[in-house]
Amino acid sequence: MERAFNYVILTILAVLVLFPVGTFLVAALSPDRSGKPVGFSDFAWDNFATAWRDADFSRAMTVSLIVAVCVVAGQVILALLGGYAFGVLGVAGDKWLFPVVLLGMMISLEAIIVPLYYQFRTFGLTNSLPGIILIHLGMGVPFGIFWMRAAFRALPRSAFESAELDGAGPLRMLRSMAAPMARPAIYTLILLSFMWTWNDYFLSLVFLHGDNQTATVALGVFQGKYVTQINLMAAGGLIVAAPVLALYVVFQRKFISGMLAGAIKE
Amino acid sequence: MTATATGTPTPVSEPTTHQKSARPRRRNRWIGLGFAALPLAVYALVVLVPLAQSVQFSFYQWDGVSASTWAGLDNYKTFLTDPVLRSTFGHVLVLIGFFALLPIALGLLSAALLTRAKQPGMAVYRWIFFLPQVMTTVVIALVFKRIYAPDGPLNTALEAVGLGSFAKTWLGDFTWALPALGMIGTWVTFGFCMVLFISGTSAIAPELYEAARIDGAGPVKEFFAVTLPGLRGQMAVALTLTITAALRTFDLVWVTTHGGPGTSTLTPAVALYKAAFQNPQVGLAAAIGVVMAILCLIIAIVITRVSERD
Repeated sequence: MERAFNYVILTILAVLVLFPVGTFLVAALSPDRSGKPVGFSDFAWDNFATAWRDADFSRAMTVSLIVAVCVVAGQVILALLGGYAFGVLGVAGDKWLFPVVLLGMMISLEAIIVPLYYQFRTFGLTNSLPGIILIHLGMGVPFGIFWMRAAFRALPRSAFESAELDGAGPLRMLRSMAAPMARPAIYTLILLSFMWTWNDYFLSLVFLHGDNQTATVALGVFQGKYVTQINLMAAGGLIVAAPVLALYVVFQRKFISGMLAGAIKE
Repeated sequence: MTATATGTPTPVSEPTTHQKSARPRRRNRWIGLGFAALPLAVYALVVLVPLAQSVQFSFYQWDGVSASTWAGLDNYKTFLTDPVLRSTFGHVLVLIGFFALLPIALGLLSAALLTRAKQPGMAVYRWIFFLPQVMTTVVIALVFKRIYAPDGPLNTALEAVGLGSFAKTWLGDFTWALPALGMIGTWVTFGFCMVLFISGTSAIAPELYEAARIDGAGPVKEFFAVTLPGLRGQMAVALTLTITAALRTFDLVWVTTHGGPGTSTLTPAVALYKAAFQNPQVGLAAAIGVVMAILCLIIAIVITRVSERD
């Protein structure tokens, strides 16, 4: 009885979450430009192809993918180095260095975007992919260090001791032992980092223009042009959301536990 | 980029530090600094240096092209006294109600109503409740632009139940655009709060509930005596995250209303963007950024302090 009551509450709330997304999905499949719902047999699957072509998503999605992959790879390397240093080796001056790193998790992009833009402009790094990748990497360092430090500290110290007795240097220890043992945390970091980079809008809006637009910004432009074609706009939105949603379907536990743990810091 | 620091470890966290860590040896600390040098350098270059420059910029008048002139505290004064810019604070307060208070209330309610027994199928619900967290804000904005459209589902539903007179262009209405945007924030964050609180209650020792029941506490009293105090840490996290999210709202507003109609949904972040890149008053934009950063820090520190006090 109590259990049934639980399910009723959960289901009501779930419907509240799913309903807006559902109407969007229905609109994306409607042959009518107003996005009005139609039966299954009338679904216009080619809306996705049309939106893909009209919004030039081949280009925008490629840009997003390049940026996201570079950022993820770079961020994992930086996080491994930093997390290993702060969590295992210890860092000279970490009494004040570590709080400075943690501070970075509280500094919002708004606080630095203005000088960042005008400085990068002087170096010709605006509207360039290396430029925005560098910014994503720098912004991601605090969380990366925080995350991998915790993961390395959770490893049994005996493993480090015996590896040290075997004469392994710090770098070999990281490569052949610590990193493989911390693999679950690394996977979570990869997923979160990919999601944050892919979903970014503000940074891309400021830094990338024209042919360098990412998928999220391209979607913003596309929806502005196609105000009257709701079905295409919705299809475009689903295309842009799809990569992260697909990962979320497969790795839901890692996403949820990672985001909860990332929110609740030590 | 993510979140903010607070107390209490989480029951769901992956890398908890239950084991004693490998204690560093002295000589390792310099090698450690070498390892950390690259990440620290990138961090300093992208975050710390611009942060300092933001403060510097905020004391100057600059259009982004010609020479800058010293302005002292003028930019801050403008931000705090200009009626349009000052109105952004009021908008943020409204948004906090929708982004923070409402979702947290809903989250607590659901944590209170649901029994703490493990339920089959909970994973599916968790997946659904967390869905808005992984969707890019641009898409969420489009979803709700559709919902709020003059011929959208919301107006259709109102007409269907005979409340057609309430139907309106929600995002184009001076009074209703801001609450309409706020409801999007509620939709995005309440699932997160729920999952956070539900996992929090499952970490509360069952003995506490038993003790409360022996003392003759009803469900309401039990909630206030056991559940609520047990969720302090989670509350602090949820408050910090959602309040700073309300303060920093940009994507949602930019994609849906651009701060309009008029300036009725202008937020500090949108004002910053306009000042920095549209008709450059770079110093003013920097000042807005600095104030926002300070507010975020204060919010995080105050909430953490209050939640840790007995």
